[in-house]
Amino acid sequence: MNETMGFGRDKEADGSASGAGGSGPTALAFDTSSSVLAAAITRGGHVADSSQSFTERNHSVRVVPDLQELLRRNGLQARDVDFIAVGQGPGSYTGVRIAVTAAKTLAWTWGKPLLGVSSLEAMAFGAWRKESGEREPDGDVWFVPLVDARRGQVYTARFVASGGEWRRAEEDGIRLLADWLASLNREAKERSDRTAPAAIVFTGELASLEGKWDPETASVCGVPFRTRPMALEAGAVGLLAEQRYMRGERDDVHGFVPNYTQLTEAEVNLAKSRTESAT
Amino acid sequence: MSRPYHLLAIETSCDETSVAVVRDGSDVLSNVVSSQIDTHRRFGGVVPEIASRKHVESITVILEEAIREAGVTLEEIDAVAVTEGPGLVGALLVGVVAAKSLALALNVPLIGTHHIAGHIYANRLIGTIEYPALALVVSGGHTELVLLREEGRFEIVGRTRDDAVGEAYDKVARALSLPYPGGPHIDRLAHEADEEIELPRAWLEPDSYDFSFSGLKSAVLAEINRANMKGEPIRAKALARGFQMSVIDVVTTKALRAAAEFGVRQLLLCGGVAANRGLRERLAAMCAEAGLPLLVPPLRLCTDNAAMIAAAADLKWRRGEFTPLDMKAEPQLSLEAWSVGI
Ligand SMILES: [Zn+2]
Repeated sequence: MNETMGFGRDKEADGSASGAGGSGPTALAFDTSSSVLAAAITRGGHVADSSQSFTERNHSVRVVPDLQELLRRNGLQARDVDFIAVGQGPGSYTGVRIAVTAAKTLAWTWGKPLLGVSSLEAMAFGAWRKESGEREPDGDVWFVPLVDARRGQVYTARFVASGGEWRRAEEDGIRLLADWLASLNREAKERSDRTAPAAIVFTGELASLEGKWDPETASVCGVPFRTRPMALEAGAVGLLAEQRYMRGERDDVHGFVPNYTQLTEAEVNLAKSRTESAT
Repeated sequence: MSRPYHLLAIETSCDETSVAVVRDGSDVLSNVVSSQIDTHRRFGGVVPEIASRKHVESITVILEEAIREAGVTLEEIDAVAVTEGPGLVGALLVGVVAAKSLALALNVPLIGTHHIAGHIYANRLIGTIEYPALALVVSGGHTELVLLREEGRFEIVGRTRDDAVGEAYDKVARALSLPYPGGPHIDRLAHEADEEIELPRAWLEPDSYDFSFSGLKSAVLAEINRANMKGEPIRAKALARGFQMSVIDVVTTKALRAAAEFGVRQLLLCGGVAANRGLRERLAAMCAEAGLPLLVPPLRLCTDNAAMIAAAADLKWRRGEFTPLDMKAEPQLSLEAWSVGI
């Protein structure tokens, strides 16, 4: 089996970790939208524990045992978990269904709130947390997560980190990588004022895009860029979900579905054939 | 008397999301089935990706309905059963992940269950099975003769070599421009027909209990082509009757021959195609003549449902044969290997 398992206590990038002993709401967080099966326990703005399993497209096998192990070694029972946090995609269709199904079932069975977050945002947010420990961002830094969606496409979005603040700048979507890079370039060029990005950070599963893109094309506008390959960490899922939780937001457990970002091929074809026969 | 036990079962192998609660192995407290058939009809068949998406949309809603209807609390659930296979992998996965999460959340055992064992043991929900028994499984995906020498031990003595019966019905229905799913329409036309276009029977080797329906399907298509070439109207009713007669003839004859050879005490008719009136009537007549008791579950237990999964899982529950939480959805799961005590 092509499987490696990395369990470990997360080192806090901001150096203010209070670990498992901290206070605040406890989340069981996980994501299966990408090649890594990521699970974590977060509490009061900190990652108490986390795990990553690289079970090539086979997350359905490990997802429940990994969650069980995480709960067990932290001595947590259902009553200790305040809410379920889950990566809602986009990503592999089958992949996102696994975490979303597990999250819905756990939330419903335990009667806990469910909070979904964008898997792309979690990926970018995780990269930002790592960055901020290394260098002070000077002005706006754009974080652009990239996940291979085949046929020249990527699942992507854009986030801006600025003076310790994090915000979304563009929605999650599936886009042609070449078009997306060109549009980022245009966007950066148009902002000659102080909102122009100081840097662009491409992050995500960049290895699978190797040979399919040239990050240089995004830098013609003179904005320095860097690439930070990142396997998704569920700590980021839990922390983002906690912000929503603290704002009093809750997702509807029954109605909760993955963000596929697009219709199925069969639906697209049916719509097409209907338009054609109508004209 | 010991406390009653409750199995909660989940079935998502194709286009039905179903959850059931069954008490003491055969007492169906709830059996909620959410069919996606209206969604798939406009595509002319089940679209796997859409089936998977629909399962995610409905899973907790159906769980809640099943628990409410059963009038039990989650704390009263003693084990969670789920269809492990065979089926559409993406569809199975939703049920499998939900079942594993539920087993973890409730801290109860998981029982991965074979879909065909479910169809067979649907008969347990309406009566007592006497062994040895022979099951004739006819559905959209399966056509099998299964021998049960004893409880929970499955031996496939005959299977289709190409299309399943239900598949052949759907293909012929499509060729006759009937709506999806085509089975009930063919059955109806066959009954309405006052003539029959006689079609070949695929008996295969004299001692074989296997089936083949692709030649029959081709014969139907050839007849349609012939009529089209000559500009004649297609005699849909006569063709439907010819097709149905051929299928029923082969299936019932082989089932009765196997029943005699293995000296079984009961014949069990199972699977969605058991809803076919022509098949039920002929089989009932033949069994009566042979003095062989025939068990046929009511329609709601013949089509895919979770109560039948609980009925099969009960075989393993009573023997303490549980499944670890790293269970995988197995689209090709073997029935024989799923037998108890293995
Ligand atoms: Zn079935």
